[in-house]
Amino acid sequence: MEHIRNFSIIAHIDHGKSTLADRIIQECGSVSEREMTTQMMDTMDIEQERGITIKAQSVRLDYVKDGKHYVLNLIDTPGHVDFSYEVSKSLASSDGALLIVDAAQGVEAQTIANVYLALDNDLELLPVINKIDLPAAEPERVAEEIESTIGIDATDALMVSAKSGMGIRELLDAIVDRIPPPSGHPDATTKAIIYDSWFDPYLGALALVRVFDGAIRKGQQVMLMSNKEQHQVLDLMYPHPLKRQKTPAIKSGEIGIVVLGLKEVSVVNVGDTITDAKNPATESVGEYEPAKPFVFAGIYPIDTDRFEELRDALDKLKLNDSSLSYEPETSVALGFGFRVGFLGMLHMEVIKERLEREFNLDLIATAPSVVYHVYLNDGSMVEVQNPSQLPDGTKIDRIEEPYVRATVITPTEYLGNIMNLLVSKRGIQEKMDYMNEERVLLEYALPMNEIVVDFYDTLKSISKGYASFDYEPTRFREGDLVKLDLKIAGDVVDALSVIVPRTSSLSRGRALVKNMKEIVPRQLFEVAIQASLGNKVIARETVKSMGKNVTAKCYGGDITRKRKLLEKQKAGKKRMKSIGKVQLPQEAFMSVLKMD
Amino acid sequence: MLLYLHIPFCDSKCHYCSFNSYVEKFHLKEHYMQSVHQQLLKDLERFHVTHGAIESLFIGGGTPSTVPPKLYEPFFKTLRPYLSTTAECTAEANPNSATSSWLAGMQQLGINRVSFGVQSFNNAKLKRLGRSHSRDDAIRAVTNAAALGIAHISLDLIYATAFDTPSLLQADLKQTFALPIDHVSAYALSIEAGTVFANRPEVAKEHLTQTRQLFSAIEQHGFKQYEISNFGISPSQHNLSYWRHLPYLGIGAGAVGCVNNIRYYPHRNIEAYIQSPCFNTRETLHDSEIKSERIFLGLRSIVGVSRHLLGAAEFQRAQLLVDAKKLTFHDNVFYNTDYLLSDEIALFIED
Ligand SMILES: Nc1nc2c(ncn2[C@@H]2O[C@H](COP(=O)(O)OP(=O)(O)OP(=O)(O)O)[C@@H](O)[C@H]2O)c(=O)[nH]1
Ligand SMILES: C[S@@+](CC[C@H](N)C(=O)[O-])C[C@H]1O[C@@H](n2cnc3c(N)ncnc32)[C@H](O)[C@@H]1O
Ligand code: SF4
Ligand SMILES: [Mg+2]
Repeated sequence: MEHIRNFSIIAHIDHGKSTLADRIIQECGSVSEREMTTQMMDTMDIEQERGITIKAQSVRLDYVKDGKHYVLNLIDTPGHVDFSYEVSKSLASSDGALLIVDAAQGVEAQTIANVYLALDNDLELLPVINKIDLPAAEPERVAEEIESTIGIDATDALMVSAKSGMGIRELLDAIVDRIPPPSGHPDATTKAIIYDSWFDPYLGALALVRVFDGAIRKGQQVMLMSNKEQHQVLDLMYPHPLKRQKTPAIKSGEIGIVVLGLKEVSVVNVGDTITDAKNPATESVGEYEPAKPFVFAGIYPIDTDRFEELRDALDKLKLNDSSLSYEPETSVALGFGFRVGFLGMLHMEVIKERLEREFNLDLIATAPSVVYHVYLNDGSMVEVQNPSQLPDGTKIDRIEEPYVRATVITPTEYLGNIMNLLVSKRGIQEKMDYMNEERVLLEYALPMNEIVVDFYDTLKSISKGYASFDYEPTRFREGDLVKLDLKIAGDVVDALSVIVPRTSSLSRGRALVKNMKEIVPRQLFEVAIQASLGNKVIARETVKSMGKNVTAKCYGGDITRKRKLLEKQKAGKKRMKSIGKVQLPQEAFMSVLKMD
Repeated sequence: MLLYLHIPFCDSKCHYCSFNSYVEKFHLKEHYMQSVHQQLLKDLERFHVTHGAIESLFIGGGTPSTVPPKLYEPFFKTLRPYLSTTAECTAEANPNSATSSWLAGMQQLGINRVSFGVQSFNNAKLKRLGRSHSRDDAIRAVTNAAALGIAHISLDLIYATAFDTPSLLQADLKQTFALPIDHVSAYALSIEAGTVFANRPEVAKEHLTQTRQLFSAIEQHGFKQYEISNFGISPSQHNLSYWRHLPYLGIGAGAVGCVNNIRYYPHRNIEAYIQSPCFNTRETLHDSEIKSERIFLGLRSIVGVSRHLLGAAEFQRAQLLVDAKKLTFHDNVFYNTDYLLSDEIALFIED
């Protein structure tokens, strides 16, 4: 066990975690020159395309220092706030963490958030300043910033370039020297935590575990402590993005993949403890909270006949993404679909894209909503995830909405802009710290519904990309909120309703119909677009009817050509949703939250 | 049954035109005319065409008036027994090459309808379109045809160009209706790949109010709009038959035929065509494709769309359009009231 090092790589988004993982894997000789690719740990297509990590990924590596063999278990984690759940899981099975900080960007919002997560787990933190090859790199300034804002000693911070490979050897040596080996009792009965699970088409449900006490052996009868179910261990492997290696046992302090031969992944819950069936441990390793969705949106097939296909697709995605939750719902406008809970907007985007690409579905996503606690006059409380389900105003005593603690780090020159933005989003300042002369850290209490759409983009654009942002949910507070409905051609389209603060309902209503007017293409008929509060119309726009759609030319007998042109137009229309006589493009449903 | 014959020669290439035609292959004329004759013999045979079965002949181009009547003789000689006694026989003609003697020669062969490519009577506009004739050439050619007693005369006009003004279009119409014609085709300028205008898409410019004014002005002269681009005292049988989806033979380089729901395409390239005039590539039309064609063709013309063509949901959507006064419905046929919307209506109705 003294020769094992379990660690996660954590950082703000894009500071170079996955690239550093590549260099470490390479330095350990774990892949051949030929097999080497970039961001190897980002195994999903969507991760490669977007250049971001979505799911934490583990790898077991061998390293030799001073003639001694070490096993390094590395977990690359995502930096994006939506996926911080992945970071928590990873840290719970690590004994230390590399805190990567970009030498040009310095400490950012998710750097701090992730440090807190690591400290919650009592982990040894190794500060690593990356991208020192960049001309704009200021490693000394960044080291100071780490000391002053995070309060950890950065005198021994490692200076690396994950791009060029500079400093990697020193980093590996430091990992061996400074990250503590695992503790645990090799001779005690089996006790391991499941920190990830997914479904493999050939092997069935797989559990990725960190063994604390004892060992898991092939053939062993094990028990899941949460439900006392017993299963036999069919196979064991060490994780690797390209080539997993089989092993007869995963021992105390190690990580590995357990094959239980189960067809259903839902039995294998992340956070659960695996123990020996005959001689079970008395206590579980500890529990962590299941991932909690923050935003909810309706997902509907454009073609209403494809509801079952959508269900299958969600079921399949769920096998590899336990944070996904959904239940069927119906909409007058959109038919049968699902209300899906997401960890955030990026998560929502990723899931929608995967559903469309991997399962060949055309989908409509409604504008995401947070969960409201609606207290009725009779004293009862209902949770509302879908604005169209908000009970009648006369029945409501009060509505409470979720708040977050938002952390923004910005260069001082954008401070004014950013404070204005936060105020316009109903933010309440809780903290303002100058990290140094150039940078400020702000903490605000913000209604979560204000950050769901647009906030991040606006923040980035008013700070030329320099401000960073992180949030964590805090508590519910009362808000003066109303439901804003949208009528298209005279009928309320339930999927387009939104909940907004009463004070901004008029401006939101106006912005909404104006926006919608831009999005709704001209049709055979004039289309009235109205925003209303209850029965009261507060804003109206009209999309004029179309004047012409035909090519007035001579085709002679070449009718096929004409037909093909029309088929093309038809394919475009197929991606729209018919609501009565009116056809709405997919983006109409998301656009209701756009402010301008 | 209809017959289309393509003549792929032009004196010059107009800036907008992508029809299959050559300006430097006049030496192939004789050869070419022999080849179309060969294809005619073959097609009459393979489709078992019976005497008197061909209701309409259309000689289009390119420019049919670049080929002297004499060279058409063998073709007509073979074809004559297959033409019905009432057949409409149209030849397209350009004002610069359709001389009196050419017109007379064609009339002799049986042509009873001439369609002149006039485009405009404004010399400046003609020049900018790359036409090689003047306003006077056009007037003379039409007058000559009428003097010969050719029964039906049509003019092609082009509108929706950046060169148009309301007064220009008015003057064009005034001159058009001063001539002894019974039909007008008015085409909106479209930008085609491979033409001079392909690099100048801004020359196509449509003002819908102008278009509607143009349509109603033409109709005021008793020329009924029977298709998006066609107006006449009596419709051209050839045109109407296309929109009714009747079978047609397609003869010549770049012609298209369609018989028994197989659309066929002889070689487009003139040399390849002369090499093997009876070769063609084929496309079998599926029921869904035929249906779709019948719907959009029916909607862009007085042909209309029979309810029997439509599924239940499609019928319902068509009914919606009747309620909204976009269509009318009598004797089980839906008729479009605004041809300018025909494609949109087709898209709206079809599943
Ligand atoms: N110049 C330079 N660029 C680097 C270095 N390390 C990473 N990058 C670049 O920084 C970008 C982000 O790198 P990633 O490794 O994907 O960052 P990450 O931290 O894994 O990002 P997330 O997983 O999305 O949080 C990529 O374009 C890398 O090529 C470095 O040392 N020097
Ligand atoms: C097949 S062309 C040949 C007619 C004949 N060669 C002539 O130009 O007089 C028939 C008609 O199509 C029209 N046409 C051709 N290309 C066009 C285009 N790009 N846009 C609009 N009309 C076009 C012209 O009005 C033309 O007269
Ligand atoms: S419009 Fe007529 S003359 Fe001009 S190029 Fe086309 S076919 Fe030839
Ligand atoms: Mg990454």
